[in-house]
Amino acid sequence: MKFLKNIILPFIAISLISSCQKVININLNKADPKYVIEANVVDDTTGCTVKLSKTVNFDESNVFPAVSGAVITIKDLTAGTTYTLPELRPGFYRDETATGVPGHRYQMTIAVDGKTFTGEGQMPQHVAMDTIYRTIGVFDSVTAISYYDPAPMGNYYYFAEYSNGAQTDNIYISSDDFRNGQRIVQNLNRGGGDYEPQAGDYITIDMQCIDSAMYQYYYSLRQTKNQNAATPANPVTNLQGGALGYFSVHTSSRRSVIIH
Amino acid sequence: MATHRGIAFAGCLIHWRTSRIYNCIILTGHIHWEFYFRRTKEHTSTVFHLFMTAINLRFLPRLTLVVAALLLTLSATAQKYTLSGTIKDGKTGETLIGASLVLDSDPSIGVVSNEYGFYSLTLPKGNYNFTLRYMSFQTKQITVDLDSANVRLNILMDPEQKELKEVTISGKGNTLKSAQMGMTKLNIQEIKALPVLFGERDVMKIVQFLPGVEAAGDGKSSFYVRGGGADQNLILLDEAIVYNPSHLLGFFSTFNSDALKDVTLYKGTAPAQFGGRLSSVMDVKMNDGNEKEYHVAGGIGLISSKLSVEGPIVKDKGSFLISGRRTYADMFLKLSNDTNINKSRLYFYDLNAKANYKLSEKDRLFLSGYFGKDKLGLGTTFGIDWGNATGTLRWNHIINDKVFSNTSLIFSDYNYNITLNVTNLSLRIHSEIRDWNFKEEVGYYANPKNFIKFGLSSIYHTITPGSITGSNIIQYSQPDNHTWENALYASNTWKPTTRLTVDYGIRLSMFTVFGGVNMYDLDAKGNIKDTLKYGSGDVVCHYIIPEPRISASYSLTENSSVKAAYTRNSQSLHLISNSTSSNPTDKWVATNNIIKPEIADLGTLGYFRNLKNNMYELGVEGYFKYAQRQIDYKDGANVLNNDALEPKLLFGQGRAYGLEFSARKSRGKLTGWVSYTLSKAQTQINGINNNQWYNARQDRTHNLSVVGVYELNKKWTLSGSFVYYTGDAVSFPSGKYNINNQTVFYYTERNGYRMPAYHRMDIGATKQLAHKKHFSSEISFSIYNVYGRQNAYIITFQDDPNDPSKTQALQTALFRFVPSIAYNFKF
Repeated sequence: MKFLKNIILPFIAISLISSCQKVININLNKADPKYVIEANVVDDTTGCTVKLSKTVNFDESNVFPAVSGAVITIKDLTAGTTYTLPELRPGFYRDETATGVPGHRYQMTIAVDGKTFTGEGQMPQHVAMDTIYRTIGVFDSVTAISYYDPAPMGNYYYFAEYSNGAQTDNIYISSDDFRNGQRIVQNLNRGGGDYEPQAGDYITIDMQCIDSAMYQYYYSLRQTKNQNAATPANPVTNLQGGALGYFSVHTSSRRSVIIH
Repeated sequence: MATHRGIAFAGCLIHWRTSRIYNCIILTGHIHWEFYFRRTKEHTSTVFHLFMTAINLRFLPRLTLVVAALLLTLSATAQKYTLSGTIKDGKTGETLIGASLVLDSDPSIGVVSNEYGFYSLTLPKGNYNFTLRYMSFQTKQITVDLDSANVRLNILMDPEQKELKEVTISGKGNTLKSAQMGMTKLNIQEIKALPVLFGERDVMKIVQFLPGVEAAGDGKSSFYVRGGGADQNLILLDEAIVYNPSHLLGFFSTFNSDALKDVTLYKGTAPAQFGGRLSSVMDVKMNDGNEKEYHVAGGIGLISSKLSVEGPIVKDKGSFLISGRRTYADMFLKLSNDTNINKSRLYFYDLNAKANYKLSEKDRLFLSGYFGKDKLGLGTTFGIDWGNATGTLRWNHIINDKVFSNTSLIFSDYNYNITLNVTNLSLRIHSEIRDWNFKEEVGYYANPKNFIKFGLSSIYHTITPGSITGSNIIQYSQPDNHTWENALYASNTWKPTTRLTVDYGIRLSMFTVFGGVNMYDLDAKGNIKDTLKYGSGDVVCHYIIPEPRISASYSLTENSSVKAAYTRNSQSLHLISNSTSSNPTDKWVATNNIIKPEIADLGTLGYFRNLKNNMYELGVEGYFKYAQRQIDYKDGANVLNNDALEPKLLFGQGRAYGLEFSARKSRGKLTGWVSYTLSKAQTQINGINNNQWYNARQDRTHNLSVVGVYELNKKWTLSGSFVYYTGDAVSFPSGKYNINNQTVFYYTERNGYRMPAYHRMDIGATKQLAHKKHFSSEISFSIYNVYGRQNAYIITFQDDPNDPSKTQALQTALFRFVPSIAYNFKF
């Protein structure tokens, strides 16, 4: 677990011995490019958004080729309506008018280069974040938020963190496994990312109510990012057809705080 | 790296979840029968009933045959008398394990003292001269008159006069003829000269220098044997199972060498009295305590200190030993200015105690116990503690000159607690595994050609998967999981000719799963189809696995022999872990209706040769192992939540094969050994790596160890060791992509890459300071990783901090040039 790595290894390292880190060269294999799908249906004016790109080899620079010319449809299975997302810029497809409705079930189909990828999900009940503030966590100050968890068991949350408008690499998730149906005051910790807030940063938390498949995706994405599992693997996707990424049908509630 | 931020809490709710039944599989030989015990309302059979039915129907005839075969090999002849007794250290009264008594006129006839120093040898009437040998003790000549009656002879042996610095591994002289393969004995007195990390003489780290044994990682005390996992080693302390034999995340073992007498490692070829793990048995015995006089011994080291007291309860009748150890690295943390560090707790302690008392010439009672605890935490906000406790009550009884009985009642416990107190949340998590074990073993020294052993073991396991209590959370508690592990076994050591020795036997392992917890029925995809409810006393299912064990040694010449062995082992408790380090919260999970017992078949073949009057011992051993029902998590499985465990698991098979070479020199000023292993270990699990075979993490092609001790003069002893092994098979990314504005690495195949090769040299020196009758002391110095090799502990991948458009690989190395100094004394 991360906390063990965080606490023990530095302790042993600092107090007892001379551990060291260095950048090394490893000859990593090349892999056939895979399609990467980042698809969201949101219950606000964000609407339906899909980012389509491809993987690159490890030694290449972080420029991920956008995939243009895909035909992307999102079908509201509950209402029976279908949206076709226009490509606003290469690899970026959006229909802002296609606002998601809690309780509705959605199906996405992407046809590109003779391949088809699909995904499905149901939008959970909307939960609003009521406060956001900074507080003292176990080690450092952290962002805390609060909300009322709905009575039925099985609510899952993903807290996307933005600093000055750009999404950070922290992955905060939560479920109501142990705290169902109450007002939750929650410290956002164990994000696993490198981002550390600096004074003056404008932090926005986008609280998303997600389904269990997306919870599983973010859980395994964080595991993949942390690289502390004995056998790192790709996150568990909810997409069919062999693409990386996800199709997330979620609600959104945003609040911001400034770091002092 | 975002340090000091995270805290895993609710996630750690560990559930040793088990489940339910449908089909129970019984295996024997190459035939698999599947029985279906369907649950009905009338299903009220007791465990015993099921047992006995199964045994009666299928196994009793076989068992009878085996026993009959055992007995048939006994030959009846004319007048015979029995020589028996106990072999002890004349100075301390400690019983000696594995001392060999050999007939001078026919060296093929002899006996080795058992775990309690008892021996028995039956011969035709006559006068006999014997030679008694035990490592680092003076060889003794004994003449016995077996003319008219049985003779009871308790023998005292005297330690060699010279300084006891020689490294001796495995009993001398006997190894060639003994049918036992893949077995090594460590004599605690004699490994003290070796250099070790932080000066802690850790038997689990010494064992890692042996052929076929690999360290689990830099500085780690856990090990892999012949391609098996670290949880496939049965670690016993005075017969009690130690579930987590490590301290401080695996950098130290739970064994305080001051309290130990003998360590024996069986690399998968253990005799029939051992069972329950696939890969190896590490049988650790505690000292009994000096029964002649009081002694205090202690040591002061860099990170820990220890103290032992031993002495007679009643002289020559009983003795006791108490030994304690505590680390004090945390004292240094208090000196730090950083509040996160100086508020920290980080320490462990151990307590070993043992007492024995001779009730009569024929009865001896032992009581031994171990208690250890690790504590780690930060002020009042966060804490985790974990530890083992074991207790053994044992009764040795000499039924008659030929029959020795040992009865034990054993308790074993491992638990951990996590506490967290932060704003808005306070909670406590508790989890535990607890065993009650009854064992009975009888050794029958039938005649010089046959030694028969039989017995039973019955363990009742209780696993508390995890309870969570606190404020602002839902109190949560899973019911305890109960299982019952039983075994019946019989074996015979048969010496039909002077050249051939055969050990053969069978162990019948039985595992019964009780209800009271949720059991599941899974569909073909592994999703839960149905939740099955059983009452807490109901038998959910049971498994019966016959495990044949046979090994043979044939002497080609006086100095060389070939050996072959076949062993089957099964394992019904599984440690399921998905982390790179050994975590106190790794889960032990019991076999149930879905998680089946693991089974491994191991075949070995070896050639052994001694040179220069046994000064040099050479050996080469080949092995092939096939393991069924190996367990792994599905990719990305959430190991921390409360959901049922079974749908997150996958089951498959494993295979391992290798060649082990060893050469050792056991006498002279320079002693030591070289061992080299060439091996392969692979796994195949449907659902991982496109269902193809892949290298196990511990697959290390080459593994070389060199250990040497040189006695410079009476005062100084120098030592050195060197290890080299192929890096672990690991998964590295083959590509990358961007999602949610971050770089994520893309993995293609399981364990398709290698860590860099590992190598390291350690050196040490010990100086005898005082060596008087009533006080002796010594000081030792050592340097771990003397040439400062940066051995990769972990390799991670990240965006280049200086150029975000690039990614890089970052290697973390832990231990370089670690010096240590330790002072030991005894009076």
